[in-house]
Amino acid sequence: MTITLTGTSLRHGQVQALHAIDLQVAAGERVAIIGPSGAGKSSLLQLIASAMAPTTGSVELLGEAPWRLSARARQRLRARIGLIHQAPPLPPRQRVVTAVLAGRLGQWSTVRGLLNLLHPSDIPGVRAVLAGLGMADKLFAQCGQLSGGQLQRVGIARALYQQPQLLLADEPVSAMDPVLAEHSLKTLNQHASERGITLVASLHAVELALAHFPRVIGIREGQVAFDRPAAEVTSDMLDALYANEHLGSPPLPVPTLNLQIPRC
Amino acid sequence: MRRLINASLILALLAAVAGSFAYLSLDLQALFGNGGLGQMGAYAARFLSPDLSPEQLRAVGRGALETLAMSGLGTLLAVILGLLIALPAAGRFGWPLQGTARLLLNGLRAIPELVWAALTVLAAGLGPNAGTLALALHTTGVLGRLFAEALENTPPEPAAAIRLQGGSQVTAFCFGTLPNLWPQLLAYSLYRWENNIRMASVLGFVGAGGLGQMLYTTLSLFQEAQASTVIIAMLVLVLLVDALSDVLRQRFVRA
Repeated sequence: MTITLTGTSLRHGQVQALHAIDLQVAAGERVAIIGPSGAGKSSLLQLIASAMAPTTGSVELLGEAPWRLSARARQRLRARIGLIHQAPPLPPRQRVVTAVLAGRLGQWSTVRGLLNLLHPSDIPGVRAVLAGLGMADKLFAQCGQLSGGQLQRVGIARALYQQPQLLLADEPVSAMDPVLAEHSLKTLNQHASERGITLVASLHAVELALAHFPRVIGIREGQVAFDRPAAEVTSDMLDALYANEHLGSPPLPVPTLNLQIPRC
Repeated sequence: MRRLINASLILALLAAVAGSFAYLSLDLQALFGNGGLGQMGAYAARFLSPDLSPEQLRAVGRGALETLAMSGLGTLLAVILGLLIALPAAGRFGWPLQGTARLLLNGLRAIPELVWAALTVLAAGLGPNAGTLALALHTTGVLGRLFAEALENTPPEPAAAIRLQGGSQVTAFCFGTLPNLWPQLLAYSLYRWENNIRMASVLGFVGAGGLGQMLYTTLSLFQEAQASTVIIAMLVLVLLVDALSDVLRQRFVRA
């Protein structure tokens, strides 16, 4: 099993984000997580990315329990897990090539990683990944000059360049137009199935989830509402999942550069 | 009644002013009468004919270079030390170190450059060594504080994302925090360099080398022509450095 959650709950302060989730994902599976806003999709991905420790229950990733490992061993485990952020946190002044190369910082030694700040070591490799997402021409652009959709594709490129065994994506195409979203999801799925990587993505667009992923998990109010192959998901199940919810893409926060120049 | 109080207050103030003059024995008569104004004018006029002889220009040039080197090296040392102390002062290594680092920065900053220079002249002897040290010490305190604040205000997400994919603390800092941070660090450093070039010109008065020492010597010997050359050199130096740091700012900070 690549992912095993047993009775896992997560609490942010007063808010119970996830209630006793049981979930198993086998190696090479491709899973979409859908559900209304605030249902706990992001929290679930944060748990699987080992960004947060569960309040109760256990998390097991790639055969290891991240919160029972030493900090060093946990970092080694994290290098094998890639997370695509909804709004990739990339410094506005960083060049795209550096941002993508940063994907392998977990595999590289510190010195080798830092040398990439002076001179990007693997430009062809980065160009190949970006080309698959239609971004090869932005190789040396600054991240601050990119649109939200372009930034998301840089985030995807970074995670693909990392070559993780477990690929997680939190609303990876929320800022893209339909054609681009379709293409980017296809690239992600192709990458995953060619290499036998496990892919877990949360999506707000139900059609995309049903079209691209063999297995779909519905999350509502911090609990698993259904967990079915895509072909077995009925419109009744979807209606129940989104009951009293207005569908819509959440606005993508744009990173801003805050620069204070003292003149005292 | 109210009017009476106001009037007596004004009277008391006037009496205090008159009393101060009497107590400090300030003699306005001597300042302006008896050809005093004329003497002042003559003294000022002697500054209007600067000594532009080659030897004097060479000496002033050497002094200017010394001042430039003092301010540049002092600022550079302060940038390095400031960044090293700013990391614990921003709370990156726990609260005991944070408290210690902040105390150290406050101490360094609280003592003005001139006082540091007076101390370092005693410790390192007369000359530019002392001036460089004095500038470095005070500026470390200022820049360390500013850097620590900048560090606290940079968004933590980029570095957290790199930690989450297995990167070490150092690489997360260099790839996630530094790109957002360094324009600010550069702006602060350039600003302090501008300050320090002015300060370096003054530090010579306590014997810490550079143009200031020349100015002090020439003024003490009533060599107004030579002093005037030194003052012009100081002006030129300050203007040059301001222009240079402006160019650097335009180039790197507002990109």
